[in-house]
Parts: sequence; C-alpha cells; structure tokens
Amino acid sequence: MKFINLFKKELSELINKQMIISLIATMAIFMILGSVMTESISDISEETKSVTINISDRDKTEFTGNLMKSLEELNSETTELTIKTFETEGDDYAAILSENDIENIVIIPEGFTAALDKTEQPELIAVSRMKSAATLSNLNVDNSSAIALIEQSISDTIANDTGMSDSQYKLMNNPVIITENTVIDDKSAVISTSSIISKISMQNMILPIIVFVLIMLTSQMLMSAISNEKLDKTLETLLSAPVSRLSVLGAKMLAAAVVALLNAVAYMIGFSKFVSGASDTLSEEAESLANKGLTVDAALEQLGLSLGFTDYLLVGLQLFFTIMICLSISLILGALINDSKNAQNMLMPIMMMAMVPYMISMMTDINALPTVIRLLVYAIPFTHTFSAIPNLMFGNTSLFFIGLGYQIIIFAVCIFFALRLFMSDKIFTISLNFGQKSRYKKKRKNSEEE
Amino acid sequence: MISTLLTPTDGDAIVGGYSVVKEPEKVRECITYLPDEAGAYKNMKGISYLRFMAGLFSSDIDTINKCVDRAKEICGLGERLNDKIGTYSRGMIRKLLLARAVMTKPKLAILDEPTSGLDVLNAIEIRKTIKKLAQEEGMSFLLSSHNMLEIEFVSDRVGIIAKGHLMVTGKIDELKQRYNAANLEEVFERVVKENEIH
Repeated sequence: MKFINLFKKELSELINKQMIISLIATMAIFMILGSVMTESISDISEETKSVTINISDRDKTEFTGNLMKSLEELNSETTELTIKTFETEGDDYAAILSENDIENIVIIPEGFTAALDKTEQPELIAVSRMKSAATLSNLNVDNSSAIALIEQSISDTIANDTGMSDSQYKLMNNPVIITENTVIDDKSAVISTSSIISKISMQNMILPIIVFVLIMLTSQMLMSAISNEKLDKTLETLLSAPVSRLSVLGAKMLAAAVVALLNAVAYMIGFSKFVSGASDTLSEEAESLANKGLTVDAALEQLGLSLGFTDYLLVGLQLFFTIMICLSISLILGALINDSKNAQNMLMPIMMMAMVPYMISMMTDINALPTVIRLLVYAIPFTHTFSAIPNLMFGNTSLFFIGLGYQIIIFAVCIFFALRLFMSDKIFTISLNFGQKSRYKKKRKNSEEE
Repeated sequence: MISTLLTPTDGDAIVGGYSVVKEPEKVRECITYLPDEAGAYKNMKGISYLRFMAGLFSSDIDTINKCVDRAKEICGLGERLNDKIGTYSRGMIRKLLLARAVMTKPKLAILDEPTSGLDVLNAIEIRKTIKKLAQEEGMSFLLSSHNMLEIEFVSDRVGIIAKGHLMVTGKIDELKQRYNAANLEEVFERVVKENEIH
C-alpha cells in the first residue's frame, strides 16, 4: 500500500502534460516522415520509369541523323520514354539549360561521326543541373539513361556493320549470367549479399535507436527524480517518514522504467511506421530486381538469419539488464548532483557510454575492430545490447552470453554501490564538486576552524 | 540524528521509547521532520501532497482522511490547496509543510528553523500554531532557530548549541536568572562568550 502510494507519486511526477505532448509529437514526426519518405520514393520511382531525354545534335551527319531517328522510333514505341531534341550552340551550358527550361541535356558535338569512322572513341557531352546534395532529389536529373541509349544504338550500328549475328551480339552485351550465393556459417542460399544487407539493415536500425532512447530517458528521469528530491530537501522529509529506503528507491526505479518503456513503445511504433514507409517501396523493387524465385525473407530463413522466439526473449532479457544498469548508475549520479546546473553534466558519462557503441554498431562490426579497441568497446556494458541481435543472427551465441553475463556482473556491482550509498548517511552528504567544496563540507570545516 | 536520517558514530537517543540506532523504523513512526528551507513537489496539488504524505504514515483510508482534514484545518490554505504547490508563496509552502508535519499527531515533531525567511505575520501565525498544538494536543516539538525571541515565545525548555556542542539546557526563567539576563538573546551571548574564555 505504501509502496503503491510512493509509486503513484513518482509516476505522476514523471507523466505530465509536457511529457505526453512530446511523446505524441515524436510519434507524429516519425509517422509524417514515414509518409513523406514513401511519397518521395514513389514519386522518384515514377519519374525514373518515365524517362525524359533531352538531346542536341550538333554533328548533323547521316550517322547522327539515323541515331536520332532510331531514338524517335523508341519514343513512339514506349510511353515511358520521352525524347526531346534541342538546337544548341556554344559551351555556356548553364545558359543552355535555363534557355530551354530543362534540367539535363546530352549534346552530340561536331566531329562525333568522324571520330567513329576513324574507330576512335567519340566525345559525348552530358550536362545536368545539381539542385541539392540530397541523393533522392538528384535521381531524376541523371543523364545515364540517355547515354545508355546512345551507346546502345552505336553498338547496334557497329554490330550491323561488322555483320555480327544476333546471338553473338547478345553474348557480347551480357557475357555471363551470375548466380549469387551467400554463405553464413555452414548454410547457404541463392541470393546476393547486397539484397540481404538492404533487408536486415533497416530492421537492425530500429533496435539500436530504441535502446539509445531508452538508456537516455531512464537515466535522465531517475537522475532528475533523485536530484530534485535532494535539492528541494523533500528527500529528507521522505526518508524520515515510516517507509523503508528500499521502497522509496524501488518506487523511483520502477516508475522511471515504466515511463521509459512507454516512450520506447511510442518510438517503436513511430519508427517502424517510418522505416516501413521507406523500406517497403525500396525493398519491393529490390526484391523484384534481385531475386529469381527466392524471396529475401525465405533466404533469411534458409541462412538462419531470422530470429526465433527464444532469440527475442534473450534480447528482451539483455534489454532488461541494460535498463537496470542504467538505473543503478543514474541512482549514484543523481545523488552526486548538488545543483541543478550540473545535472546536465551528470548525464554525460551515460550518454557517452550509449553513444560510442551506438555509433560503432551503426558503422561497423565491433568484432572486426583491432583487439585493444574491441576490448575497450566491449568494456562498455551497453555495447552488448547493441551487438545482441547481430550476434544472435550470425550465430555468435557464446559472445552473446558472455555479454549478458558481463552485464549481470556490472549490474550487481552498480546496484551494490547504489544501495550502499542510499542506505548510509552519504546520500545527504555526498556531492561531486570540481574544485568547489560542498555546502556540507564547507559548514563542517568552518565550524572546525571556529 | 533524532530524525534517523544520519547514524550517530557513538551513543544513542531514545525517542518515544525506541532507540534511534536499534529501531529507527519504530522511531520514524512516532516522529515527523520539517527540514530547514524544505520544499515540496511543485507539480503536486497541495491536497495531493498531504494525501501522499499521510499515506506514508498509514495504510488505512479513514486514518489518512482524518490526517488530511486536520492538515487542511491547520494550514488554513482553504481553496488554494487545490492549486499546484509551484504556485504557492514561501509562507504558504511553510504552512502546508507545518500542517503536514503535525497532521499525523506525532509524539515528536522536529522543526528546523520553521519560520526562517518568512514575513512577520506568517511567522507569528506559525509560532502560534506550534504553541497551540503543544498545549492542546500534547505534542512535543524539537525546534531549532537562530531567532531567540521565537524560542522564548514557543519553548518550555531551551538548549544552547555553539560550535556543535550543547552548552547549557534549562527552562527559560532559570537560564535568565542564572546568567542575570533580561532575555534569551543575552543568555545566548553570555553562554557563548563564557565558553570562549575557558
């Protein structure tokens, strides 16, 4: 009953209007971002399907005339292709683009046919306007399809001239058929590594972000819950009431964990909407392009990359210990705060501990790092949470269990010190001051001097 | 130490028949503590704060309601109890906290500088409340203050502490007589000076 009373108070301290508004805002932002991504990706795939080729022939020979004619034939055959011809001169390409109100153009310069006749490589001028550094917004100003078509028709002409048979010509263009296989441990599947990576990288992005948010939120909440009580001197009132210190502490930890979990769920929902918005459209296309017969999901299953129920249970267990470590460290750090200004700085150690493995796990495989750095990174308890899913996926179960064991030990050590701190007088007297004496110590020193 | 927040390195104190060293939980059941410059949870309403604190002393709803009713009466904040504590003035918070400290009818209420930083009227009101509760309810108060007039007004017995040592204890009239002083302030001055000479 008393514990419930304490727990309710802690929850009501943590769940307030600002928290709920920020939670809803985060979810909304992710969802909006997700639908923006879906829209812009489908826009682009529409645009790439309907290619517009802008071309200018300055050579005006029989050969280039035929080339233009064959392109125009293509134009009438397919609805997805639009070819526009322009008359241009000079090398002020910016002016050419703006005069004709276009974003890209391919120019066949004078002497093009002459070079071909001499069996030299002729020059083709491609101009495109770059509007931003964003990858997606530049996709449709690419000249590559125009160039490919021109190259294709030149190859066709040469093949015709040399009297090459159709089958020979096809073989020359596509000399080999590649059957890609991926092997993981002792299992293999007929699929390219790139399509596996594109599938699992999106999935594996969600967990680290949630872990990161969870770590930051729980520690921040618990630290401010404790430091506020200490600074407002409500802790003294609370601890002089007939409740055990353990239940005060337990209520705080539980409330912080519950609220953090609530946040994590909100992030998960929002983020999965965002990711599915981005990845569905992309992976559909990737799947239709990359696979013959085998879907990516089936390939993942075949390679043992898909996670089963026990795997998720183990990941959940590790997440639990991660949060417990987080809570016990924040208990200690929260008690060290002696004014509201240094509360922010106190979050730094936890932030670094979460940031380093988060960044590394996003960029590279921790197991592939040089030994010394790898051991240093593994010494950070949160690293094991970030590497849990990859470890389980790729069958490094021993590494996973070592990580879990390490986390349990770290948790035991941290909670031991946290409890010792809270059960002793130190909770009222301890503070971390860089070159500045705590009020308590100052008082004591003054009274000794007098 | 009497509030059981700090453990004595040596010695003991008996509060309500229980040792602060051996049975601090029992001691906490019969005391309340109001720290110097204490605050309250700013996001909580006054009434919720009283209810929460009463809930720490008892699990019985009737007892909790009785405590809260008592506190309402003592603090005299009326409708303002339904506002968040963050909107209260210092005097109002102090009244709320004092009401909280006495609502459970503890055998001993420890008040650290109960009127520090308050305006004259608020301070008088709080002193009167303390005196009334001691007389009518038979509660004991352990009160620390730098304001000798306040001590003289509310206390039966006085102890003077200087440099962390308890110098003298006694009833106010006895002390005034012993030090040939007109008021407690002079007693304090003489006690401190006397101890400096030795």
